[in-house]
Amino acid sequence: MLILLKGGRIVDPVNGRDETGDLWIENDRIVAPPPGRLADEVHDVSGKIVMAGAIDIHSHIAGGNVNTARLLLPEKHQNHLPNPIVLPLSTAKWSTFETGTIYASMGFTTVIEPAIVPHQALQAHLELSDIPIIDKGTLTVLGNDDFLLSLLRDGEGQAAVADYVASALAASNGLGVKCINAGGATAFKYNARTFSLDDVVPFYGLTSRQIVESLQRAVEDLKIPHPLHLHANNLGIPGNVATALATIEAARGGRLHFAHLQFYSYGHEGSHGFSSAAAELAAAVNATPNVTIDVGQVMFRQTVTVSCDTLRQYNGSAMARPKKCVINDGDSNGGGIVPYLYRENDFANAVQWACGLELFLLIDDPWRVFFTTDHPNGAPFTTYPEVFALIMSRDARAEALARQPQEAVAVTTLPSIAREYTYSEIAIMTRAAPAKLLGLKDRGHLGVGGLADIAVYSPGKDLAKMFRFAHLVFKDGDLVVRDGRVSHYRWGKALKVNPGYDKAIDRRLAGYYDHHFGTSRELFAVKEHLLPRANAFAEVACAR
Amino acid sequence: MSEARINGKPVSLAEAAERAAEILSQARLPVIAGLGTDVAGARAAILLAEKLHGAYDHMHSVEIFADLDVMRQAGLMFTTPNEARLRADVLLFIGKDLTKIWPDVLARLSPAEIPAYELAREPRKLLWIAPGRGAAKVEGLAVQTLDSSDLHTALGGLRARVAGKAVHGNKSTLRKLDEFADILKAARFGVAVWGGDGLDGLSIEMLHGLILDLNKTTRFSGLPLGAGANAAGVVQTSGWMTGFPVRTSFGRGYPEHDTWRFDATRLIESGEADAALWISAYGGEVPPWKKTIPLIALAAPQTAFARAPLVSIDVGYPGRDHDGVEFARETGSLVGRLASQPSQTPSVAAVVGEIEKYLGGDA
Repeated sequence: MLILLKGGRIVDPVNGRDETGDLWIENDRIVAPPPGRLADEVHDVSGKIVMAGAIDIHSHIAGGNVNTARLLLPEKHQNHLPNPIVLPLSTAKWSTFETGTIYASMGFTTVIEPAIVPHQALQAHLELSDIPIIDKGTLTVLGNDDFLLSLLRDGEGQAAVADYVASALAASNGLGVKCINAGGATAFKYNARTFSLDDVVPFYGLTSRQIVESLQRAVEDLKIPHPLHLHANNLGIPGNVATALATIEAARGGRLHFAHLQFYSYGHEGSHGFSSAAAELAAAVNATPNVTIDVGQVMFRQTVTVSCDTLRQYNGSAMARPKKCVINDGDSNGGGIVPYLYRENDFANAVQWACGLELFLLIDDPWRVFFTTDHPNGAPFTTYPEVFALIMSRDARAEALARQPQEAVAVTTLPSIAREYTYSEIAIMTRAAPAKLLGLKDRGHLGVGGLADIAVYSPGKDLAKMFRFAHLVFKDGDLVVRDGRVSHYRWGKALKVNPGYDKAIDRRLAGYYDHHFGTSRELFAVKEHLLPRANAFAEVACAR
Repeated sequence: MSEARINGKPVSLAEAAERAAEILSQARLPVIAGLGTDVAGARAAILLAEKLHGAYDHMHSVEIFADLDVMRQAGLMFTTPNEARLRADVLLFIGKDLTKIWPDVLARLSPAEIPAYELAREPRKLLWIAPGRGAAKVEGLAVQTLDSSDLHTALGGLRARVAGKAVHGNKSTLRKLDEFADILKAARFGVAVWGGDGLDGLSIEMLHGLILDLNKTTRFSGLPLGAGANAAGVVQTSGWMTGFPVRTSFGRGYPEHDTWRFDATRLIESGEADAALWISAYGGEVPPWKKTIPLIALAAPQTAFARAPLVSIDVGYPGRDHDGVEFARETGSLVGRLASQPSQTPSVAAVVGEIEKYLGGDA
């Protein structure tokens, strides 16, 4: 089918377009205007904004820890509205089905679940299979796994590490590698209560820095498009900006993605011993072109923190609200689930909120700062429309700042910042840059041959409303959303990489599992035929 | 080949599915019970429940909610069998049923072996509270036991002694409690293993409190053994599909969860539910309710029902007759089980799919 989107404002930074024009779609692709042919379907989008479908690089939408959070907090996601069931399980709050529906209605067409430990990968992919419409991908968590730590301790060399990483990616069908408080979860099993970049993992005698360096190199050696995705040490602690700066420096010019930087942008100035150091950190990011970051914006509301950083989550459990939490000392990283209520009148929460916005606004290059709330850790992804409004409107920020404790506002630079994101910058940050960062050449732009993942918005005074209810959304050329309402389900793919490696490591791993765990490694493998739909995966090429 | 019956008479799978669809769609509130099935079967059953505006429950909900209710009221610290096997220097077993619930528990945790990732490389200690008769024998390891007919008192006393609080009781019991408390406090990575009938919510909550207290100074975690018939796998599947565990209903057009209201047996005995789909692919379990209501059964071949179901369809055993995903006790996660003796006996998911064909609409 040939579809024409007529007369919209095309915002496509990759192709240097921000102009009124037409966009043609045939089947699942964007095509050149076909001479002499009439469109089967014409959508008049004059006055609307046309962008590629948005891509979220870091949102916890699946896996055992997320599911434990669902089961921990039944009281937080009850429905009370008897709606007619139009689409299966679309009335089930916080279900996988609702997740895909809400993402699509906001114009998001690809979402990456950034924290899947290899032993939870099968469950994660089963959950992702039940998220409709969007394409997905997972980052495989390594860096607290005993096999890797043994390789490093025994000095087996980078080739063995790279083979292991590639084998773990193949077994878990991951798109990239995540490292979460490298060595910290393991150290916690040996009763460490703090763990920083140069602290040593008991039993293995390795520092966190060594583990990160090795994984960073392995990712480069394997030519995986997405750089190592790092959740650093000392998340959420006053004064942790020092750790963040040291971690950025530790990348030593190599590519590194620093996740949810907001949670590391804290100084210890002021009467509370807690302040924003976001300006200093933003300056460091600006000066370090090899590093990309995502923000992890905090918004004021009830949420639940879900993380494989068990040491941090255990330490945070005293702050749980409601007062209950789950700590799982699982294989390798495990996880911690701690409910949390961010309050506008709370000093620390107000500083955190401001830190995130400072990072958005003080990091100059929209190609290197990514739009996230670290869903659900800083806020649920359903708050994205409000976050867009805050970074696009100084007035919206001023209005919000006026409600907050002024002593908190005083320890940030936020009131002095005038910047407002343009549509083009939004398109870079949420479309073009994520596609580049993940190696997804077929999306993030509106050029001929690109995947017809397209979001059309109705601009208006209410920026949040504009981004909450997309006017039209196409996934693979299929019109799935009209005026914020999903009309039907379709089923996207999980994107994965498949770097080549020496299969000898698989035999070694098989023996390791048999001997150490007493179980077969095969039990954990994500075999496509075990998922509910055929063709669940699409491969992203490894070459840079 | 599938074996299907209506009123005990052999019919084709299609005829049985059509009759089942007719009974379920005519019911005011149908309930899907048993739910002893793999992830694909649970997934299909939950989608069916929504379509029917019915409720669903699992045959082992009592055990499921003994643990889950404590978790969602007070929290949980837990670990995996792998971690317990490789790191635990102290194992604390609670209850007489552990080896009955999970015959491989000792083989899997290998308590007599020195834990591979433990710093001190010393033999581990195994404490067993209320082991029952003869259960506490572990080859190559001296097991220290604390007999108790009252777990509330035993666990409460132990927690009090770990916290340094006074406990009343006879001398030998107190001495034993103190011995246990000292070992627990000296553990570097201890793991409590529990499960079975003797443990109610109060016991489990007390145990959770004990684990939290121990973590103030050292590391300690838990390993609940959970229930059979893929209870944990069904709860996980229900969690991502509806946000809730089992005992959930779509009667109002959206999922509502309530452990009392949507207890399948209560729904049926009270007359609120007027048709039942019983699913039991793992073994011979039969419905526990007394009342006679229209019953459709997807069950293992040769299941002996007290009253013949109106419609019964034989289903295969996940991981034997067909590939399936289920929660594995030995890993503490969902795993793929490939068919060990592939057969033509259909899976629960396949049979539910057949029934859906006769309901109209699309799911």
